[in-house]
Amino acid sequence: MPVPFESFIPFGVMTAMFMATATGIRFAQTKRNEGKAVRYSLDDWERKMMARDHQLTGTMRGQVDDVIAPPQFKVNSSWKVYESLRNDFA
Amino acid sequence: MVNPGYRHFKGEDWVDPTPPPSSLPHVDEIGSTSAPLKSASYFIGSVCKEYNEDFMLCKNESRDPAHCLQEGRKVTRCAISVLNKIEKECLDEFRAHWQCLDAKNQELGKCRGPEKTYNACLFKAFGWNKIVPDAPKNKPQIHERTPLTQ
Repeated sequence: MPVPFESFIPFGVMTAMFMATATGIRFAQTKRNEGKAVRYSLDDWERKMMARDHQLTGTMRGQVDDVIAPPQFKVNSSWKVYESLRNDFA
Repeated sequence: MVNPGYRHFKGEDWVDPTPPPSSLPHVDEIGSTSAPLKSASYFIGSVCKEYNEDFMLCKNESRDPAHCLQEGRKVTRCAISVLNKIEKECLDEFRAHWQCLDAKNQELGKCRGPEKTYNACLFKAFGWNKIVPDAPKNKPQIHERTPLTQ
């Protein structure tokens, strides 16, 4: 007896929808985190360190290992003026 | 960086018009972000123990920022000296370790491989041992335990 292939088409469509959703979520998260994995279980300490990383590098996930900060780090006043920049938890 | 409402005036060019008074001694700020600092944290803690404890006790007396400026400067300078030493001798192992941490949600337990070479390099160069303070003395340190799967 021939296999009813027409009935598999909806299953294929559902699988394709799941895969599209997963791909879209993975793309959005990777783009937001500059290719790195999402950071999870963040407490206040980690969030404040990420805000400091944002001040030093310009992005929340950027990392540098210079010993001495550039002089702009000490005198920049954007962070003083805009509370939302300091507390920009992504 | 663009600040909200100030597309004509780049955020990088904003300078604080109220800097600290020039009577205070100048101290450089640490330029490392969170992953390198976490990687070097135990060594900063062991080498700079006295300065850190002084600062914590001073803060315990009063939360006023002006009260603990001198102790804070000492802490910063000590941390800068430790980072300078690490970067001079063990730069590659240091970078491997903090890049691994950066990829693993900054959890030390997930980066034991690079950490082993890093600790060995630092011990060879300066004799520094990574010790978790207040760990039980009758058991091996957590970073020196052999995993169950080996």
